[in-house]
Amino acid sequence: MKIGSMLGEIFKSVFRKPATVQYPYGDRQPVPERLRGTVRYNPEKCTGCTLCMMDCPANAIEIVTIDKPNKRFIMRFHADRCTYCAQCVVNCRFKCIEMSNEEWERAALTREPFTVTYGRDEDIQKFLERTSLASPQEKP
Amino acid sequence: MTGPHVEKFIVPIGPQHPALKEPAHFEFSVDGETVTSASVRFGYVHRGLEKGAENRNWAQALYLLERVCGICSHAHSTVYALGVERLAGVSAPPRAQAIRQILLELERIHSHMLWVGVAAHEAGYDTLFMYSWRDRETVMDILESFTGNRVNYSANVLGGVKYDLGPAQADSILSGLDYLEKRLHYYLNVVNNDESFLGRTRGVGTMTTEEAENLGAIGPVVRASGVHRDLRVDAPYLMYADFPVTMITATAGDLQARFVVRIQELFESTRNIRALVEHLPEGELSVRFPRKVRAGETVSRIEAPRGGLFYFIKSDGSENPFRVKVRTPSLRNFMSVIVGVVGHQLADVPMILAGIDPCFSCNDRTVIVHREGSDGSAPPSESDSRKDSSSWSKP
Amino acid sequence: MDISPLLKMLVFPGGLTLIALGLLYEYIDRKLVARFQNRIGPRVLQPLADTIKLLAKEEVIPAGVIPLFFVSLPIIAMAGALTAGLYIPMAGFAPSFALPGDLIITVFLLGLLTICIGLAGANTGDRFSLLGATRTLTQLFSYEAPFLLALLCPAILADSWQISVVDQSVTGHVWLALPLFIGFFVAVIGLMGKLELAPFDAPEAESEIVAGALTEYSGRGLALFRLGKDVELVIGLTLVSAFYLGGLSNPLEFLLKTLGLLVVVAALQALFARLRIDQVVGLWWRLGALLALVQLLIVVILKGVIL
Repeated sequence: MKIGSMLGEIFKSVFRKPATVQYPYGDRQPVPERLRGTVRYNPEKCTGCTLCMMDCPANAIEIVTIDKPNKRFIMRFHADRCTYCAQCVVNCRFKCIEMSNEEWERAALTREPFTVTYGRDEDIQKFLERTSLASPQEKP
Repeated sequence: MTGPHVEKFIVPIGPQHPALKEPAHFEFSVDGETVTSASVRFGYVHRGLEKGAENRNWAQALYLLERVCGICSHAHSTVYALGVERLAGVSAPPRAQAIRQILLELERIHSHMLWVGVAAHEAGYDTLFMYSWRDRETVMDILESFTGNRVNYSANVLGGVKYDLGPAQADSILSGLDYLEKRLHYYLNVVNNDESFLGRTRGVGTMTTEEAENLGAIGPVVRASGVHRDLRVDAPYLMYADFPVTMITATAGDLQARFVVRIQELFESTRNIRALVEHLPEGELSVRFPRKVRAGETVSRIEAPRGGLFYFIKSDGSENPFRVKVRTPSLRNFMSVIVGVVGHQLADVPMILAGIDPCFSCNDRTVIVHREGSDGSAPPSESDSRKDSSSWSKP
Repeated sequence: MDISPLLKMLVFPGGLTLIALGLLYEYIDRKLVARFQNRIGPRVLQPLADTIKLLAKEEVIPAGVIPLFFVSLPIIAMAGALTAGLYIPMAGFAPSFALPGDLIITVFLLGLLTICIGLAGANTGDRFSLLGATRTLTQLFSYEAPFLLALLCPAILADSWQISVVDQSVTGHVWLALPLFIGFFVAVIGLMGKLELAPFDAPEAESEIVAGALTEYSGRGLALFRLGKDVELVIGLTLVSAFYLGGLSNPLEFLLKTLGLLVVVAALQALFARLRIDQVVGLWWRLGALLALVQLLIVVILKGVIL
C-alpha cells in the first residue's frame, strides 16, 4: 500500500538524458545489420526463372528478358509496392537478390524514383530502346 | 420523466475518439454517471483479407495474412504456416520450430508491454505509460537485430524460417531479457501497490468464473477469472511439449488481476526464451515446399497474446488457397465488455474496454446472417460468394 | 488624469505581465512533467505559439447554442482571472489595489473561471460537454470549502482577511508551512484540484470525454480559456506561497518560492493516476474537509489561548 510508488524513478529521470531520439537531427541509433531495406539485384547469375516474380505478394518485381539464350535479364522494381518481406531473397536459388541495410529512407516528392531498373548498362539501354520503339510518344 | 418512457442519454464512443486506438462504435446509455446498457458496432476496418487470400498463391497469402494485425503479426503468420504445412504433409525442421517459438514469445512480451502502457494511459497514469513504452523499445531492438524489422517480422516461410539465431543475436537477446526482467519486477510492484492506480483497477470489471465461461471469453482475460484455458498447455504445438510454459491464473477476475496475469506471463516467456536460446536444436532452417498443396481441410490454432487464434484452411489442390477463415481472440471477448460494463461508472468504461486488450483490425470479418422466411430472398450461394467482387455490382 | 492605475491594471503587474508570466509558468510546468517522464518536453515559446495559433483560427459556433453566451463566457472567464491578479502581491510588489476582505474576492474570482467553464459546457449541450460540465461543477463544490478554510488559517493568525496585510504579517517569521503543515498540505492539494491538474483532471479526462466542457470550443474562445487557466496557475501559486511560505516581499523571493512550489506540484502531477469523479468527491468531503477543520480548530485554539 504505497502512495506515489514511482517517486524514486521520476526523481532519477530528471538527471538522466531523455529517452527521446531526435531523428533525423542529433545522434542516430546504429542500423542493425539485418535491416530489410530496399531490394538490390545482381544480374550476373540470374537465369530468368522468375520465381521471385511469382511469389512477390505485391507484384513489385518484373523480370524483363533481353536475351534469353545468353541469360541477359533486367529487373524493374516498383519500390512503392514492395512490402519488404524478403520472400524474393529466399526464393532466388543463385543469390541474385539481396536487401540492403543502407538504403531505407525512401521518401521522395515525385513518382519517378520509385520505379528502379536494375541490370547491366547495355541491357538497360537495349530495353529502353525497345520500349521507345514500341510507343514513340512514351517518355524513356 | 413521464410515465414508463425513460429518457435515454446515450454517450457514443467512436469511431473517432481519443480512447480508442482503432475505430469501432460503442453506445452507452447512462443515467448520471452510471451505465445502464451498451451496444457495439464494428466493420470500420474491414479490408477483405479472406477474399484477398483466395486470389493469391500460398506464399503470397502468407504475407497478406501476416498483416491482419500489427501487434500479433507473427502469430497470424505462424498459424497459417502451420496449417498449410500440415495440409501439404511437410514438417518444419526442429531448429525452425524453436526459432518460431522464440519469436512468438518475444512478440508476447512486446504486446503485453504495449498493453500495460495503453491501459495505464486510459487510467490517466501517463508516467507508467511513458516508462513501459520506453522499456518496450528494448524488445523492439532485439527483434530488429534478429529479423530486420520491428513489427511484421516476416520471419516465416512455408516450410521453415528465414533468419538464423547466431551468437550475436543470442547475446543481444539474453542481455535484453536481463534488463526487461528487472523492469517487469518494478512494474509488477507498481501495479500491485500504488494506491491511486489500485483505486482505478481493483474491483473494476469483475467477471466471475461462471460468467467468463458463459460469455465465451478467452485469453488472459479468462485466465484472470480462474478458468484454466491456454492453448500452449492444453494442445502444445511447435516445441511447447519439450519447453513447456506454466499456466498463470488468478481468481479475482477484476482489472488488477488481468494486469498481474499478463505481467506474470511475461516472466514465463522470458524463462522460456532463455531455455530455448541455450538449447537450440541444430539443423537446417527450412525444407522444400511444393507449389501446389494437396486438397483437404485443416484447422490450426495457437495462443496469440490475446488468446486462442483459430484458422480454417481449405485447399482444392491448386496454387491458391480455396478458403481461409480467420477467427481472432478479440472478437470473443467483446460480449464480456457489453455485459460487464452495466452498473459501472462511465469513467471505468475505457478501462474495462482496454482490459480485454481489443485489437479492432483483427476483428472485422463479414458474416452473412440469414433468417428463415424473413423476406423470401435466398442467401447467396457459395459460387456466388466466390465470384470476383467486381462482378457483384453488375445488374 | 492619473493613468498610473490604468498602467498597473493593464501592463504591470497586472494584465500583460500576468499573461506573460502565465505562459512562462505553463512552459515550466510542462517541461518539468516531461522531464519526470524521461522525455524532452516543449520549447520555451511553445505556449505562446499555441496561443497565437489559436487566436488566428476560425471560431466555429456549433448549432443549438446560445451564441451570446458561447462568445462571451470565455471573455468573462479571462476577465475574472485577470481581475483576481490585482489583489495579490504579484512579482513581489505590493498589490495594485487592496481592500479589506479581498481574500474572499480573489477566491471567488478564481471560482468564476471554473463556473464559466461549467456554464460553457452546459450551453453547448452535446454529450461530452454536458458530462464535462457536470464533472467540473461537482469538483468545484468539493474542493472549494477545504481550500478556502486552509487559506483562512494564516488569515486568522494575521487578524485580517486582506491579502496584503496577511502577506506583510508573515514576512520575517518562520514559514507557516512548518507549524501549520496540515493546512499547507490541504492548500497545495486544493490548488491542484482548482487548476484541474492530475490526479484531479477528471473534468477534462482526454480518454473518456474527449475534452470535457471545452470540447466544442476552437479559435479565440479556446485561447481565452487556456490563458485564463494559465493565469489561474500563477495566481494560485502566488497565493499559497504568500500565505504559507513566508510572504513575498521582492521579485527574487517571488520567483524562487513560486517556482519551488511549482516543482512540487509538477512532481505530484506525474506521480498519480487519474481519480474518478466520485473518488474525488469522497476524498475531499471525507479527508479534505476533516483535515481543514482540524487545522482551523488548532489555529483558533492557538490564537485564543497563546497569542
